[in-house]
Amino acid sequence: MSAPLLVVDNVTRTFGGVRALDGVSLEIREGEIVSIIGPNGAGKTTLFNIVSGVLRPTSGDVRFMDRSIVGWSPQRIAAAGIARTYQIARPFVRLSVLDNVAVGALTHERTLERARAAAREVLEMTGLAPYADRPASDLTITQRKRLEAARALALRPKLLLLDEVMAGLTPTEIDAMAVFIEQLRERGIAAIGGVEHVMRVVMKISHRIVVLDFGKTIADGTPAEIAADPRVGEAYFGTSLEEASAS
Amino acid sequence: MRRIGILVFCVVVALLIVIPPMANGYYRSLFYITLLYVALAYGWNVISGYAGYFSFGQVTFFGLGAYVTAIVVTKTPLPWEIGALLGGVVSAAFAVPLGYLMLRLRGPFFALGMLGLARTLQVAANSMGITGGGQGLFLPPGSNALSVYYWTLAIAVLAFAGTWLIDHSAFGLRLQALREDEQVAATLGVHVTTQKVYAFIISAAIPGLLGGGYAWYLTYVNPVSVFSTSIDLQAVAMTILGGIGTVWGPLIGGVLISQISEALAAQYPQAFLMIFGGLVVALLVFLPRGIAPACAAALSRRRARAKPAEART
Repeated sequence: MSAPLLVVDNVTRTFGGVRALDGVSLEIREGEIVSIIGPNGAGKTTLFNIVSGVLRPTSGDVRFMDRSIVGWSPQRIAAAGIARTYQIARPFVRLSVLDNVAVGALTHERTLERARAAAREVLEMTGLAPYADRPASDLTITQRKRLEAARALALRPKLLLLDEVMAGLTPTEIDAMAVFIEQLRERGIAAIGGVEHVMRVVMKISHRIVVLDFGKTIADGTPAEIAADPRVGEAYFGTSLEEASAS
Repeated sequence: MRRIGILVFCVVVALLIVIPPMANGYYRSLFYITLLYVALAYGWNVISGYAGYFSFGQVTFFGLGAYVTAIVVTKTPLPWEIGALLGGVVSAAFAVPLGYLMLRLRGPFFALGMLGLARTLQVAANSMGITGGGQGLFLPPGSNALSVYYWTLAIAVLAFAGTWLIDHSAFGLRLQALREDEQVAATLGVHVTTQKVYAFIISAAIPGLLGGGYAWYLTYVNPVSVFSTSIDLQAVAMTILGGIGTVWGPLIGGVLISQISEALAAQYPQAFLMIFGGLVVALLVFLPRGIAPACAAALSRRRARAKPAEART
């Protein structure tokens, strides 16, 4: 078995008196898709902010490819191979769609021309190519979500942190996003998705599911294990997870 | 299209080199002041237009360049050009620690911080011996204003060409990305602090190089004249009117504002400021993003009409 790509080791983060994360540990291997589920306020976004270097943990360690990345700047973490998307899409609205994506490509391409060429490829993959020369402000919410993913992919990451990429999408769009996430595995990119709802898709595409509640991990296992876990099913969803995922 | 642009550019520069020696003193100084403001506007445009850090204190470096030059020509036998060059170097060097310090501030805090910095240097110049205190320093009279003009022309051309290069470079894209959203830019791998400091150095070096020429042109520097906020405000107004964060904006705004204000001042000396202010307000109401972006949009609309409309997806 290969060494884990990312290790989150007993991470705690407090904001004043609030423990947003309380001793969270998890591991992800290369090419693995892990979903973190939990209600609003469970600590998903805080975890993403810590792994991407936007926040520092109050205590605990984060290791990426066997090196501690605690205290690294966001740009260093991005260049090392961890890309992220934002829960609420934050495009550079006055730049073209192509240039939005080219910014990320500049971490591995030296000239603007080559970064734009690399960005075009990513736009093809994500279905945004027809909008390449439009300002990002022209995009719809769904397209903005895709742009978030495209920008992150342009970094050529080994690990992608997807913060609520499913939120606000229609069922058809959710399926399209699920296909996109499953394709990541073919490219050898591991992904951690933070998801509040859409259990149907989570059960289908995840290798593992981690359940967060009030900053603590209450379960960690395969979709089947999570579905069978009475703590998750009843204490957390108020119903069995099979029922929840059928809806 | 690009070839025509380069041709026009070369012709204009050639005319700017040839005409002033033949022009009378009034036009010569009008040319000089116009170019000075165009170049100052280009300097401001890098940190404030491309990087999005609004500064109301780049005049700090203009004053610094003017004083360095005044000190060099009054205390040493060196020519003023060396002083002006040194003024640019000192400004750029001063911008490094200052950038790391000031660029932690954002929005109005940065703008006011820079405003305060200019006042601080003004007070320092007022109270130090080497700067001649409140009296300032007198430079040798009978100076050759034409050399100042060419110096300023060279810097304006370099500032324009440099802006074009920035606009077409990875550096320019990184600056625009951090202007739009600094945190997102960082998570996309942009070294935000370094890029901001580079932009700040460029925006300090340009006024730093220009200040020396101004000192030589006026043959006199004092704390009030070379650290004046109105110098900054003019450059700011020109850039915004022409198009902030664009290649052509500072040129269009700079030439337009200085010519209009000059013509109005000659025609209507009493009502000049009132008419001028009204014009600026009207332009900003109708073209809030400036003249250059409005022209670019009109051009691309015309081009789109000329081509058979492609299917919009």
